[in-house]
Amino acid sequence: MSEPKVLVIGLDAAPPELLFDAFLDELPNIKSLVENGIYGKMKSCVPPITIPAWMVMSTSKNPGKLGIYGFRHRKNYSYTDIWIANYQKIKEKTVWNILSEKGKRSIVIGVPPTYPPKPLNGYLISCFITPTNAKQYTYPPELKEEIEKVVGNYIFDIPFRTEERDKLLKGLYEMTEKRFKLIKYLLKNKKWDFFMFVEIGLDRVQHAFWKFFDPEHHLYEPHSKYSDAILNYYKCLDQQIEELLKIIPKNTKIVVVSDHGAKRMKGALCINEWLIKEGYLTLKKYPEQKIRLEKAEVDWKKTIAWGWGGYYARIFLNVEGREPQGIIKPEEYEDVRDELAEKIENIRGPSGEKLETKVIKPEEYYPEINGEPPDLMVFFDDLYWRSAGTIGHNTVYLPENDTGPDDAVHSQYGIHIIYDPNQNFGGKKIDIDILDVAPTILRLLEIEPPGDMEGKVVEGV
Amino acid sequence: MTEEKTKSKNFTSILIPTSLYKKLEEKVKETEFSSVSSLVTHIIREYLAKLEEEKEVFSEEEEEEIKERLRALGYID
Ligand SMILES: [Zn+2]
Repeated sequence: MSEPKVLVIGLDAAPPELLFDAFLDELPNIKSLVENGIYGKMKSCVPPITIPAWMVMSTSKNPGKLGIYGFRHRKNYSYTDIWIANYQKIKEKTVWNILSEKGKRSIVIGVPPTYPPKPLNGYLISCFITPTNAKQYTYPPELKEEIEKVVGNYIFDIPFRTEERDKLLKGLYEMTEKRFKLIKYLLKNKKWDFFMFVEIGLDRVQHAFWKFFDPEHHLYEPHSKYSDAILNYYKCLDQQIEELLKIIPKNTKIVVVSDHGAKRMKGALCINEWLIKEGYLTLKKYPEQKIRLEKAEVDWKKTIAWGWGGYYARIFLNVEGREPQGIIKPEEYEDVRDELAEKIENIRGPSGEKLETKVIKPEEYYPEINGEPPDLMVFFDDLYWRSAGTIGHNTVYLPENDTGPDDAVHSQYGIHIIYDPNQNFGGKKIDIDILDVAPTILRLLEIEPPGDMEGKVVEGV
Repeated sequence: MTEEKTKSKNFTSILIPTSLYKKLEEKVKETEFSSVSSLVTHIIREYLAKLEEEKEVFSEEEEEEIKERLRALGYID
């Protein structure tokens, strides 16, 4: 009997509403995987953001356990010093680490964060946080030269938030073409039991073109030449997938996953502007133009809390003994935090409308806490409103993102498809949790998942 | 530690206690590593990578550049 093989196709930010509902009929190859496989929604982690989501998926450990709450984290409770999430900070075993121990071979491409590369039994090409192509971005190091022979200058990501959308599209297709060319090359020329790649392009195209296709978007532009930009990219991916299906060994099991979903953005809520308005954050001087908080003159001796922007807001309290100029007495911490959490939950939209805002205390939400979580994690209006950390806007609400044009935000539910050529699942719909992906992959490879994985094998696999 | 030369210049051998070797020999059977050598090579590579981890991943310049990109992508502000 031949050894089991698994190919994981990672589509960053693919939401069920597009992949399964709006577009499926135009994607014959993905449709056939859906119809013969198990498929459904996949509940992402909290926060549902690329980092930590792909690593939560790959390790079956929650963000608290990983100690990764986003792309950046504070250094030793500093007001301004941060570290950027990277592969070295991932201490839990990934699927490919477990397979390496068993002597099975893996090929891993573009899973965030996999820079800087770490050893595995197989090959690894890092992700879009790789500083430049001049860096060592492969394991083993010799692979880099081979890649460059195959695709020339490999592209990790496209320059983003440009109003030059034609240029953006051109870059997007060039990146994707190179990635799939490389994937095909490695599928054919290297030994592997487990092959996983992430195409980040899908996330980028959705962020850049959502308002051209969604009539519900507050900035919807009908009859645009970009109306089908997102659909066309999905079709391109479907065609690329068709080519992969042609060259993989017949017994290869296929898993298609996204790390979270996406939806239209309603706007950006300036968390620090709101904190200033409510007296939680005090500046020595209000800026005359838009600036980041770290560049502002904050009066820390009069500041109770400040926040970070992104798809969700992170709130930090200025606590005596913890922050350099902390003023909240440790014994008052919980009361101050509760009061602030309640106020934030009740923030209304620009027209006074109620928002479905969720506020989380990390240590109450996660079963285990590592690293330095924020004091509060805030998800404005079920993520429809992103958080803007910059100040100088003279308003709490922005119709657009504060760091450039962007049409979409993340949503809690991504997708999954599990296809096994040896058994027809008949398009059975099962919704799963992101933690279930890693144990399911191991089961597909006929390996018993370690007991400390937090998810469970998807029913029927 | 003594080193013995093998036939190929690309490989060399190291001496380890026989008892340890025997334990690894048993372990190898539970994996798909072809030999104790390939298992030990894997273990050493992981060890060396761990040592590397003490260093800063990004230079200051790189970090600024990445932050700029992450801002443009909307992940941070
Ligand atoms: Zn993502």
